[in-house]
Amino acid sequence: MTFPAPAIHAEGLGRDYDGARALGALNLTVSRGSLVGILGPNGAGKTTAMLLLATLLAPTRGSARIFGLDTSTQRSAIRRRLGLVFQETSVDGFLTVEENLLFAARLAGLSGGAVRTAVAAAIAAAGLGPRASQPARQLSGGWRRLVDIARATMHRPQLLILDEPTVGLDPEHRERIWAILDEERRRHDTTVLFSTHYLIEAEPADRVVLLARGDVVADGAPAELRAAMGDEVAEIDGSGASELVALLRAREAVVSVRRTERGFRVGLGRGHARPAMELAAGVGGIDRLAVRPATLEDVYFSRTVPEIV
Amino acid sequence: MSALATIHGIVARDLTRASRQTGRLLGGLVRPFMWLLLVGTGYNAIARIEGGVSYQAYVLPGIIVMAALFGGMLTAIATVYDREFGMLRLMLASPAGIPAVLTGRAAAASVVAVLQGGIVLACAPFVMPVSPAAAAAAAGALVLAAIMSATLGLLVAAPLRSVENFAGVINVVLFPLLFVSGALYPTSGMPPALRLVAHANPVTYAVDLLRHALGQPTEFAAGLDVEVLLGATVVAFALAALLFDPEQRLAGKISPRA
Repeated sequence: MTFPAPAIHAEGLGRDYDGARALGALNLTVSRGSLVGILGPNGAGKTTAMLLLATLLAPTRGSARIFGLDTSTQRSAIRRRLGLVFQETSVDGFLTVEENLLFAARLAGLSGGAVRTAVAAAIAAAGLGPRASQPARQLSGGWRRLVDIARATMHRPQLLILDEPTVGLDPEHRERIWAILDEERRRHDTTVLFSTHYLIEAEPADRVVLLARGDVVADGAPAELRAAMGDEVAEIDGSGASELVALLRAREAVVSVRRTERGFRVGLGRGHARPAMELAAGVGGIDRLAVRPATLEDVYFSRTVPEIV
Repeated sequence: MSALATIHGIVARDLTRASRQTGRLLGGLVRPFMWLLLVGTGYNAIARIEGGVSYQAYVLPGIIVMAALFGGMLTAIATVYDREFGMLRLMLASPAGIPAVLTGRAAAASVVAVLQGGIVLACAPFVMPVSPAAAAAAAGALVLAAIMSATLGLLVAAPLRSVENFAGVINVVLFPLLFVSGALYPTSGMPPALRLVAHANPVTYAVDLLRHALGQPTEFAAGLDVEVLLGATVVAFALAALLFDPEQRLAGKISPRA
């Protein structure tokens, strides 16, 4: 029995620019139909990783396969299966929305009647109907991004690679974009690889890969990564924070601890939230103590930002 | 099929853009007509051309080539804007690959070049008698000159990464190509070294071919002109394809397990 090749399989994939390392050695296997988020600070190597997987950059080391096809030698076959959204919008202001999509459909290899059919469907799906005849330069950033999404999805790609698709957008446009992507996944089992700085957007992902300075520093399902931080996270601010942390450590309540500008973020083991509150009442100099569920933001800070000493 | 669709898409997009930049299209016609009417009229009084033709008539083939050269090259060089503003990456991500992208761009730039050169050619009867056969031959020569100009433009644009270099390119590439081509004055009067450069300049052969078509004295055989224009087009296209996206060349050279 043979299994279909995964959507993405990268082994030691890396890239240097003029000798400077942008991406170290990415090992990544993404199964078909999954939603995977790449997170990390600016300069972490997210865009480089995505461009390498999209066959638009050549690797300095390692290799990658998309649906079993080699990114270095089978670029054309891979591109037929890809939909791409770059960090900067790729919309020609001199053309109307519809003309932009006609252009993109032909670039994707569609021809004849399939072009108009795909463009009409994409315009309807993205809610671009009232703006179809409008010059793209008159669109707001949110609508331009919707044109990008419509462009990337209209030829029914098997893999969508989206580099910060919602950056700088208002909540309404962000929600609309994710609704389109969800629909795309639901109807066509499309694999989606995306990067974002809005960590809340990565919560529904099947998997999150966290990059920092070109290396993978965390990789797993959001729930797993959050669990590694502790059952709940206590935000402890004030001059007495270190004393409280020491007391919590002594009671073996601490799963993870991280110093912040104003105090500590402490991951607590199961059942230790209430005792922590009670302990805090006996320690002076606690300006604030808040206990809340762990988030991907906690994971992000603990793995990507250097410790404050 | 994918390549044809890509070429279709790029030509349609580039021509739509060009049609909405009428100022640029009209501006491209000012330069040749300024030479023909203002400089040409002035030089008529002082220039003595072999065969007794007026300077305006002599310079007409060169002005047709000038219109095509600037129209084709500038449209093709505008690729650098697409590179800077992200549209080129979209095109390079096309499954059809770089040859189809370059063919589309060259085809669109050639249409602009033929249009601009054709408008000057259409005005030729106001300067010199032109038979229908000569006009048809000149149109054929113009098409060859336009394709060569567009492809040269792509070659110039290939290594450019920023629009800041764009103005410099016009002065460093376009004007020398035109001035050392026999378009505005005969190459026979040039110093030997410059004449050598003129003979290496493909624009010289475009001007010479137009002179053949319009029945003027020429320097080379028409067959040689056609061969040089086709050869320059092929070489420029191949070099542009090689230089356009260094990542594509690099990709094939990476060892899969390096």
